[in-house]
Amino acid sequence: MPADPNQVKIANTIGREEIDFCIDRAAGSTKIYFGGSDGKAYELDIAAEKPEAVAMEGHAGFVTGIAVCGNILITGAYDGQLIWRDVTTREIIRQIPAHDKWIRKIASSPDKKLITSVADDMKCHLWNVESGELVRTFEGHELLTPQHYPSMLFAAAFSPDGQLLATADKVGHIVVWDVNTGNQLAALEAPLMYTWDPTQRRHSIGGIRSLAFSADGTLLAAGGTGQINNVDHLEALARIEIFDWKAGERTHEFPGDEVKGLVEFLAFDPEGKWLVAVGGDHSGFVKFIDLNEKKIIKQITAPGHIFDARFNDTLDTLYLAAFRNVLVCEFKAS
Amino acid sequence: MPSTHSSLSRRGFIGTAALGLSAFASNMRFDSLKHTVLANELKKQEKRVILLWLAGGASQLETWDPKPGRPTGGPFRAIDTNVEGIRISELMPQLAQRQQHTAIIRSLNTRNADHGGGTVLMETGHTPEPGLVYPDIGAVLAKELGRADSHVPDYVSMYTSTEGRHKGGPGYLGSRYAPMFLDKGMMPENLHLLEQMSDIDHKERADLRDLLSARFARGRENNSLGSHIGAYERVRGLMASEKLFDINEEPQSMRDRYGPTQFGEQVLVARRLIEAGVPFVKVARAWWDSHGQNFETHLELVTELDHVMSTLIDDLQERGLLENTLIITVGEFGRTPNINGSLGRDHFASAWSASLTGSGVKGGTVFGKTDENGHTVADGEVGAPEFYATVYSALGIDHEKHYMLGARPMPLVDSGTEPIKDVLA
Repeated sequence: MPADPNQVKIANTIGREEIDFCIDRAAGSTKIYFGGSDGKAYELDIAAEKPEAVAMEGHAGFVTGIAVCGNILITGAYDGQLIWRDVTTREIIRQIPAHDKWIRKIASSPDKKLITSVADDMKCHLWNVESGELVRTFEGHELLTPQHYPSMLFAAAFSPDGQLLATADKVGHIVVWDVNTGNQLAALEAPLMYTWDPTQRRHSIGGIRSLAFSADGTLLAAGGTGQINNVDHLEALARIEIFDWKAGERTHEFPGDEVKGLVEFLAFDPEGKWLVAVGGDHSGFVKFIDLNEKKIIKQITAPGHIFDARFNDTLDTLYLAAFRNVLVCEFKAS
Repeated sequence: MPSTHSSLSRRGFIGTAALGLSAFASNMRFDSLKHTVLANELKKQEKRVILLWLAGGASQLETWDPKPGRPTGGPFRAIDTNVEGIRISELMPQLAQRQQHTAIIRSLNTRNADHGGGTVLMETGHTPEPGLVYPDIGAVLAKELGRADSHVPDYVSMYTSTEGRHKGGPGYLGSRYAPMFLDKGMMPENLHLLEQMSDIDHKERADLRDLLSARFARGRENNSLGSHIGAYERVRGLMASEKLFDINEEPQSMRDRYGPTQFGEQVLVARRLIEAGVPFVKVARAWWDSHGQNFETHLELVTELDHVMSTLIDDLQERGLLENTLIITVGEFGRTPNINGSLGRDHFASAWSASLTGSGVKGGTVFGKTDENGHTVADGEVGAPEFYATVYSALGIDHEKHYMLGARPMPLVDSGTEPIKDVLA
């Protein structure tokens, strides 16, 4: 069934005790996998009449990254550990102390042979899915913010051809890497996504929380939030910037309109017509943006801040990991 | 919140100090010989206090009372300290290695989760009463620990962020004990001589004023007159203390130890001040009010607190000052155990923590306990009066002491309040 962003709706809400930060799914399957604040990863068959989540223990911190690569499930957490499991048996294959600080995200390459993990040690590691071998480390982000506080490396994304990798941090610094050589190809800045308040409250908020390459790899979208007046709250409008990364030019800027908070997930329509963004403040949002018209097609709110999303096989449904919810969001043409 | 402060000028200081002493002298009396003797003894011991005021409300779960693995626990682990059995947030690894100097109080229930009300309560130890303004802890300690012959300020308060800025003050003690309030930077304003006046001119004016005052005072005995002269005598001391506020006077290696943040620099100034004899210095670190992104905010602010407070402890110890200096680390309240949808924590005064370090404190102790999720006090509930009774006791001040405001006795803490003896040395 073709997708129609105008038909977007929350089709199913599955209440959870934990806060769910990451989600992935097995291709060709109705099973989704998500991880949360209780240190557990879960498997859930979304097509079951009464879906029941099966817990997988092993982490000692919020589970913030998850990737299903064939028959291997990899999770990453604030404990700095990466855990490999057999998807079928759910048994742990290996456990690697991957980072010295919180792992913020895991991204898998399109062919599912590689994964990358980014963490607050400001390192991006590239791992071989099959062997668990550390292939390469990318280091291009400062450990401290300009105000001398710890920075955070929030986001990572592969290009659809798997040749490029982008990483982005708290202060709005983006780096595009050559996956094969490890060379830095470009550096971009989105400083409006980082707010340091030097006068009223003297702390910071924000950062780039999501990245996505366009289908042809020429455009790179970055999501976060705009400048915040009161840094005690996520009160700024959700913000998206799109770059022609080779030219180093910002081609699109969406400062936001109604929904507030952080853009936690971004994805381009394979045909290049729209971009979907999800995120939130206290509540969540899903918004579709027309890239040619540079305007919003449709946006809806959702119960609970949304932290991550994955498409189904036919690209007309998003599975969402949210604040004490797992959501099914459909946008099917009628 | 708009600022209601005003800077301390020399002219203003002279005027208010004289009036304050006059009002104080006419309305109040020291209530017993015992207290006078104690006060003099205290002053000989040169007790000092640095208040690290965590404005906006720091989370007890991300500092002194972690609940790892619980639904309310958040992402940070608990770590061992160098005192067996005491575990604190992993955000404080340096303080964890200095736990032998610090007593943790985990059972504050102060019942006021409003910034304004909580601030007044935790600055004074008293619930406000209509028509009566209580002195804050700085003013009381300036009175109790300050020396009349001192040429340095008795009470310095730094609060440079604008949010929640609250000057505090001497209340019924009178303006003699008002803080030197630094809100724009670390250097006091209006301490310089006017450009058109030389130092010699200033001294000659002072000599002339002394001559005229002495002539006027001959044969007269008057408290107001005495305080007027005393206030002028303090002016040159205050002017000479300007260098105390200048961290450029410190070796770069010492500045590096405290770090490059404003809070680090202010705490270094605080150490310089108490080393020079200032009895009470407050450094407000604002703003901890993390309704959204609590964990990232605390990652910034607790990391800074851990480093700066640990450096202060070491520095005081190396200088032989820790024994006589009390570090109070507290704010107006804590934060909710429940995590909200923006990954924030909200205001919470029902079960939160503070710490006391150094002088008079039994370091390496924990008093009180919260329930497994941190929602309520499970053991040893105390409030602001007990907290400040403990502070006074740690400093050797009789917590049952009272001043007289006219005919009304004004106790330092509410009558019947007992200090937390378990954390006293």
